[in-house]
Amino acid sequence: MKRLTQLRRHLRVILVAAEMSLRNNLTDGFVIFGIVIQPMIIALMAFWMLRDQGPDDIIYIVVGSGMTGLWTTTLFIGGQAISGERWTGTLEMLVATPAPLHIVVIGKTLANVLQSLSAMVATYALAGLVFGALPTIARPGWFALALLLTVPAYVSFALIIAPLFVLNPEVRRLQNGLEFPVYILSGFLFPIALLPGWTTPLSYILPPYWAARALHGASSGGDVADILFSMAMMMLSILIYGLLTARLFRRILYKARVEATLVRQ
Amino acid sequence: MGAEAIPDVHGHAGRPPSSCRPIVHCPFVAFYEVCFNFRMNTIEVQDLRRVYNASIGAIRRSRKEIVAVDGISFHIEQGELFGLLGPNGVGKTTTVKMLTTMLIPTSGRIRILGLDVVKDAKKLRPRIGFIFGGERGLYWRLSGVDNLRYFGSLYHLDPDATRKRIPKLLEMVGLSDRGEEKVEGYSRGMKQRLHIARALLHDPEVLFLDEPTLGLDPVGARDLRVIIRNLQAENKTILLTTHYMFEADALCQRIAVINKGKIVAEGSPAQLKSIVSDLSVIEVEIFGGVDDRLPALRALPAVDALSIENREQKQVLLIQSPAGAEAVSTILKLLDGVRVGKVAVREPTLEDAYIRLVEGEA
Repeated sequence: MKRLTQLRRHLRVILVAAEMSLRNNLTDGFVIFGIVIQPMIIALMAFWMLRDQGPDDIIYIVVGSGMTGLWTTTLFIGGQAISGERWTGTLEMLVATPAPLHIVVIGKTLANVLQSLSAMVATYALAGLVFGALPTIARPGWFALALLLTVPAYVSFALIIAPLFVLNPEVRRLQNGLEFPVYILSGFLFPIALLPGWTTPLSYILPPYWAARALHGASSGGDVADILFSMAMMMLSILIYGLLTARLFRRILYKARVEATLVRQ
Repeated sequence: MGAEAIPDVHGHAGRPPSSCRPIVHCPFVAFYEVCFNFRMNTIEVQDLRRVYNASIGAIRRSRKEIVAVDGISFHIEQGELFGLLGPNGVGKTTTVKMLTTMLIPTSGRIRILGLDVVKDAKKLRPRIGFIFGGERGLYWRLSGVDNLRYFGSLYHLDPDATRKRIPKLLEMVGLSDRGEEKVEGYSRGMKQRLHIARALLHDPEVLFLDEPTLGLDPVGARDLRVIIRNLQAENKTILLTTHYMFEADALCQRIAVINKGKIVAEGSPAQLKSIVSDLSVIEVEIFGGVDDRLPALRALPAVDALSIENREQKQVLLIQSPAGAEAVSTILKLLDGVRVGKVAVREPTLEDAYIRLVEGEA
């Protein structure tokens, strides 16, 4: 009963944090740029580079560009979520409330990922404009299911990075460094088979890799067993990253309270 | 800004007001309090110390330890309004941040409502509220109502009860007609009032008010003091930090004067004033610089403490002297050549006691 009450409270915090984050983001020009404009630019560049490929590859480009947009916004807006709280002086307020900070950050990240999905829709529409017809999704049911799992997979990955922003405001400098390696290692725009063999284990620990593999497979008509395997790996990574997150947040928050890094520096 | 009763936010019917609740949820303690008319301390601070590590230099970085709070101890009883008085940068805010679980003390112990602030932070947080002076700590792109709704969920309050409570709190702080507007359009005073509503949302038993009237206009500051008095009437335990003497004098039952991280005096406003009861204060209005005369003035046996206040185009020398009016002629001789305005001798106030305490430590 106590656990159920706690679960209900956490769920409410997640929903309200997501709602407030959405309201806040929709009035922020930087966020709008990150969600809509930047993914479109990346998609246009990808279309231009791969324009000579056959029509079957268009959907690969659409999904890949959409995922780059999804990752960029998750990384930048997710990081911004903590940095912004610190800047406005609300981070220490959040820490001093009874709601665990990682639950609040789940809500905020969920809002960001859901908003970022609009990048994929925008890229899909852009492909229709550029190529004169909307690309076809080979297995729409599997694609929808994979997309549904992609949301928590991205949230869990963003949550592993978020505590670092709590600990040290300087971590934001790493954001740029994290953007492109994840594009490449996750195989958003080209298969990881083209990369050196030693990078493969790195790809395997990234939830966006399994999300990209499932979504590319479902959109291009790949093997169902492989789509299922990718989704199972997504679920496993959600579980592992989720467990690590709560622990990491607790440790890092304690350290931040010792080192006084919750306020603007 | 009336003191109308505000409904319970936890959705529990018949919950007693905080004034009737025992401060520690232990039947033995409650029994002891009732039988022996004894009140346990709501807040107990022992040998509290906080050190910050700061890095210095751009190329060759070295670390320096800054002692913000240096072994302070005090206690606050249930329903008491206790003031922590001191100039800027002496450790008042650091103390409040440790009391509100935002910072971990370097050493020492804090117990609030019988709970340790480090070990029992999770249990303590729903029972305390805090306000920090200034405009930060709110979501400017959200409306006042949304800010309160968000914090209501963070305090795990019943959503329906929160919805009913928000209008009452907004009415109490005079923001009823502006609640739906975005906070970015609020004045500094309005933001401060929203902070108060936020801090009271979960009906905390203990409140920490860190410089709550900082930067408010006189009317806003007066209204805020009325709210603080009303909260005290509700038997809330309140710790107020301020550097406004009259505010501490008017509101606090006991005051601790803090300087350079240490408590230099503690007592009721009357007890603190008694520190300077043997002195008179000579106020000398002057126009133009007197820096070159200050060492000689301070060296006079009749001068116990000296400070300068800027008042528009003039300055006022505030001289604490055991000699009173008899010292005026000696002082004026030393000010020969300086344009002097009015000279007055008056009884000392809490501010004079504070100046003596802080100057004595300088």
